[in-house]
Amino acid sequence: MRRNFSRSELIAVGVIALLGLIVLPALNSAGLISNFAINLWGKYLCYAVLAISVDLLWGYTGLLSLGQALFFSLGGYMLGMHLMLMIGKLGQYKSDLPDFMVFLGYTSLPTFWQPFRSFLFAALMILAVPGLLSGVFGYLAFRSRIKGVYFSILTQALTYAGSLMFFRNDLLMGGNNGFTDFKLLLGLDLRTPGVQRGLFIATVALLLLVYLGCRWLTMTKFGLVQRAVRDSETRVLFSGYAAANYKLFIFVLAAIIASLGGALYVPQVGIINPSEMTPDKSLEAVVWCAVGGRGTLFGPVLGAISVNALKSWATRAYPDSWLIILGGLFILVVLFLPGGIASVPGLLARTMRRRKKSDEPIAAVPATAVSAATEA
Amino acid sequence: MATAAHAESPRETVAHAVVLTDNADEQRRLVSGLAGNSDPDIPRLLNLWKESGFFIATAPAGGWQGLAEGAKVAVTLGDDKDADDKQAASVLATGAPLRDPAGQPVRLVATDLDNADTDFDLRLAMKTVLDLAAVTAADPVQRRQVVEQIGLAQDPAKLPVLRERVKVETDAHVQQALRVAIALLELRSEDAATQIAATNTLGAVRALSARDALTTLARETETTRPQVARAAQAAGKAIETHLQVVNFFGTLFRGLSLASVLLVVAIGLAITFGLMGIINMAHGELIAIGAYTTYLVQNLFGNGMALSPFGWSFRLPGLNAGGWFYESYFLFALPLSFLSAALAGVLLERCVIRFLYRRPLESLLATWGVSLVLQQLLRSVFGANNVQVYSPSWLSGHWTVFDVLLGWNRVFVIAFAVAIIAGTWALLTKTPFGLLIRAVTQNRAMAACMGVRTERVNVLTFAFGSGLAGLAGAFLAQIGNVGPSLGQNYIVDSFMTVVVGGVGNLFGTVISALGIGVTDQGLQQILGNPVLGKILVLCAIILFLQWKPAGLFVTRSRNLEG
Amino acid sequence: MRKPLLLAAEGLNKSFAGFHAIRNLNFYMEEGELRTVIGPNGAGKSTFLDLITGRTRPDSGTLFWKDETDLTRLNEYQIFRAGIGRKFQTPTVYIDHTVFENLLLSLEGARGVWANLFHRPTKTQIDRIHEILGLIQLSAKADTKAGALAHGQKQWLEIGMLLAQNAKLLLVDEPAAGLTDEETHRTGELLLSLAGRHSIIVIEHDMVFVRQISLGRKVTVLHQGSVLCEGSADEVQNDERVIEVYLGRKHVRPVN
Repeated sequence: MRRNFSRSELIAVGVIALLGLIVLPALNSAGLISNFAINLWGKYLCYAVLAISVDLLWGYTGLLSLGQALFFSLGGYMLGMHLMLMIGKLGQYKSDLPDFMVFLGYTSLPTFWQPFRSFLFAALMILAVPGLLSGVFGYLAFRSRIKGVYFSILTQALTYAGSLMFFRNDLLMGGNNGFTDFKLLLGLDLRTPGVQRGLFIATVALLLLVYLGCRWLTMTKFGLVQRAVRDSETRVLFSGYAAANYKLFIFVLAAIIASLGGALYVPQVGIINPSEMTPDKSLEAVVWCAVGGRGTLFGPVLGAISVNALKSWATRAYPDSWLIILGGLFILVVLFLPGGIASVPGLLARTMRRRKKSDEPIAAVPATAVSAATEA
Repeated sequence: MATAAHAESPRETVAHAVVLTDNADEQRRLVSGLAGNSDPDIPRLLNLWKESGFFIATAPAGGWQGLAEGAKVAVTLGDDKDADDKQAASVLATGAPLRDPAGQPVRLVATDLDNADTDFDLRLAMKTVLDLAAVTAADPVQRRQVVEQIGLAQDPAKLPVLRERVKVETDAHVQQALRVAIALLELRSEDAATQIAATNTLGAVRALSARDALTTLARETETTRPQVARAAQAAGKAIETHLQVVNFFGTLFRGLSLASVLLVVAIGLAITFGLMGIINMAHGELIAIGAYTTYLVQNLFGNGMALSPFGWSFRLPGLNAGGWFYESYFLFALPLSFLSAALAGVLLERCVIRFLYRRPLESLLATWGVSLVLQQLLRSVFGANNVQVYSPSWLSGHWTVFDVLLGWNRVFVIAFAVAIIAGTWALLTKTPFGLLIRAVTQNRAMAACMGVRTERVNVLTFAFGSGLAGLAGAFLAQIGNVGPSLGQNYIVDSFMTVVVGGVGNLFGTVISALGIGVTDQGLQQILGNPVLGKILVLCAIILFLQWKPAGLFVTRSRNLEG
Repeated sequence: MRKPLLLAAEGLNKSFAGFHAIRNLNFYMEEGELRTVIGPNGAGKSTFLDLITGRTRPDSGTLFWKDETDLTRLNEYQIFRAGIGRKFQTPTVYIDHTVFENLLLSLEGARGVWANLFHRPTKTQIDRIHEILGLIQLSAKADTKAGALAHGQKQWLEIGMLLAQNAKLLLVDEPAAGLTDEETHRTGELLLSLAGRHSIIVIEHDMVFVRQISLGRKVTVLHQGSVLCEGSADEVQNDERVIEVYLGRKHVRPVN
């Protein structure tokens, strides 16, 4: 671990900030970059935030959570509730109620929907709801020392239960169709390029903030304990650390980060429905993280962008076999490149050095060396 | 003509009645006279009449065989309409062709003839006759259904028929149904004593079908005949109690069958995850492979099928089997499903999993990749839509034991689960292969030192677990549709079943499947909502793991980690 | 005057799936003692440490710390915070952390989440780490990942981590396993230098090593989960029962 920000890292972050916050939006408003591209990249960057949250748990703490899609969607739903109320009479039924409620025969807004008229309340809920859910679940899971694959299976079940719940119409969260047809955010028309550009900038800012925050976190002594938990939880316990508290902290933090990503995702794609919170979506986020390189913070960002770019291309070029490409890619990465794309430069450098040193055949990198996160 | 009605066959009676177009009363009398007659011809004839299938022909000059000029006769026309719109005519009374005096068959044009009409009163009479004919139908199951329907309709006019029938009915079930139906009809009586007696009968036999009728009666007579209302309430309460008992056992039975489904889908996982420690996310797709194999076998026994994987289409010829041979396809499908899934398992183990022993999280991720690939492959080969596998007819009936409905498919589910568990248990504990599996899964290094070829045991164990998934697929194909994502619906549940049972413990898996299945159905019964029940079960599992983090049954050991 | 008891175990029992690992075990230890525990394989030595450190809970019996704290009611980290540190049989260090970080994590100090978020190692702490690095002869390896260390170095690093913790009672499980004779001897000297300041329980097989560290001190022999005998190294080595359990019945000398 680098104990401090290196100069090159700071430069890279600065360049990306400049590009994302100023250059790309400027090119967009000048018409040199299409609105579609800005929108697409905004989506990718939201995914990148989600991927970082996965990595914070999996790569740094050894907790493979399959519940991150749930928290991501919850964030989206919380902002979605506010956006639904902001549609006002612009909806199909010309009613103050969201369309789906009119459809279900409601005549007045249910109590728990009332406060979502306020943007601030919605923003608070984006933090509170996933935070609370992850807090309760994490407390129970870590207290009883559920770890490894059991934790994965349980979080998968949690996500599954969540999606089942949101598919129901009587939860009053739009059922199958979820929320869509948003019109206004903070009084601004969501469908205009300018607002979309603003959302893109907000997403870049969030990503940078999350990146730097997590980078700082992993450099503190907390970060040391966090990775110690991943490598040898027993030793951590016998060194006097209440490992469960550390895990709970990071689990809640990761849930909130995912939720923030989801909240920015929804106004950009214009829809949120329960299919976003299925276990498969969580696993997809894990794929991004694995492909990019877990245990680094740069890796997940790279993975989220590259896999989704690949997906956008493949679903158009090979609509029938895109799942084979994604599945195959994933198998190959797990088997042959456990460190992901982020580990490629290192591997290449090592190979080059060996070539120079001798003509010995290059031994395959033992996969076990990189799989320290799999303490039984 | 009508004077000899009692000596006539029903067919002749109908033929006579049809031509009496100007005497509606006599028509009705003749038709009503057929009541209680069990001749199977009657319903067919009356229905045909109602549907205007009879014609009235008048003999032309010269007459027809056996008919003088101007005589009317009821006829039916054949399907052989020729160029002149003429059709072969048959005499309704005998069914023989209508012939001219020369003995040649007569052909008539439908539009030249009078259609035999039916008026409202006549149709009502027919309905009564038809109902009663059904009451006397040869098939006891059908008889019973009709009797139950009559009972529910509560038309007191039908009382005499039922009373006649109850005297001669030999089948015990129908006898019982008749008594209930009579009592139900008697509830409508004007006489309080009769009503009370009927009420008591219904209460005594715990007639579930009488629940609503009794409630209605209690409400209607509350002020006018309080004693009747009281009796009705008492009987209603007795039935209500009985209903709760029936529901309880029904829920238990459905819970058992759901538990069996869980068990069948989880047992393969209990081997690969529980014993070998591999998280196989593609387990669901192995189930789907088994299900599609069953679908394939069924089509091969039938008319064959066309496949077009990756834009390359071909047709598999079928055996065109019928009857019992076709129905027996399932017996062939079972071993083939096992084998196909086991083969897929071997490939999976050799190509992916063998690199990932002792790295459970990675095996989870890699096998999820495999699951995506397999899903897409299945979609490419068999199409994205669900396909239907037709269950053999021996799975579609049911038994009723003390009012609890036991569907044969659910009974089959339970029997199947028991057989699989028994087989797996016997294999693991009673055979040399089982000994090897246990040796390798408990201490791989030691087993290797003892000369066990651990690699081969791994492959075979994994193949066995995968084969069990295939069997589960063959079995799921019998109780639902088959689609590429069939396995996805079960994967979360089956993992939970294994985790709750305690990993590495088959007995624990059995108990946990039972617990989850019965709880799920019980909650569903209480909440009246399947999804909410499922969510609560998941929450309950999470809480359960607070109490027993390692599942129900733990294989305890000393240092599990360094 | 009797010194206060540091650790008192009475009537401890523990079984694993039918295997009776600890059987009615009684064990007393005074403050400042360096106690060596020996016994054949399966005698229950490591399980005994597991019970003390809260890794497993006894089926029955009591385990008191300083006559007041019931250790069976505490979990691992609470027991650590009470002042008991442990070194495992197989060296357990953080392989992905540097040697320096391993020691930093073990250093006595706040263990809470919030405290560690904003923790900056002080000058004294860093000095202390370097002091320990010198003691365990790993000064040159401070920035090496622990996973890259040799086996013996890992053993020493783990002992160094115990030192950093500054625990009252050190539980040391087979510190000499896999070490060369010279390293073993140095380990012994290290332990001896700690005796007095810390109370120590050492579990060991190597009798040369046991003799080195137990000179004039008490040795406890465990057999089938209970104490077989206690005494000086010489006494226990000449005890027939000890010889019997170590060497088998045939070699028992007739009692004169």
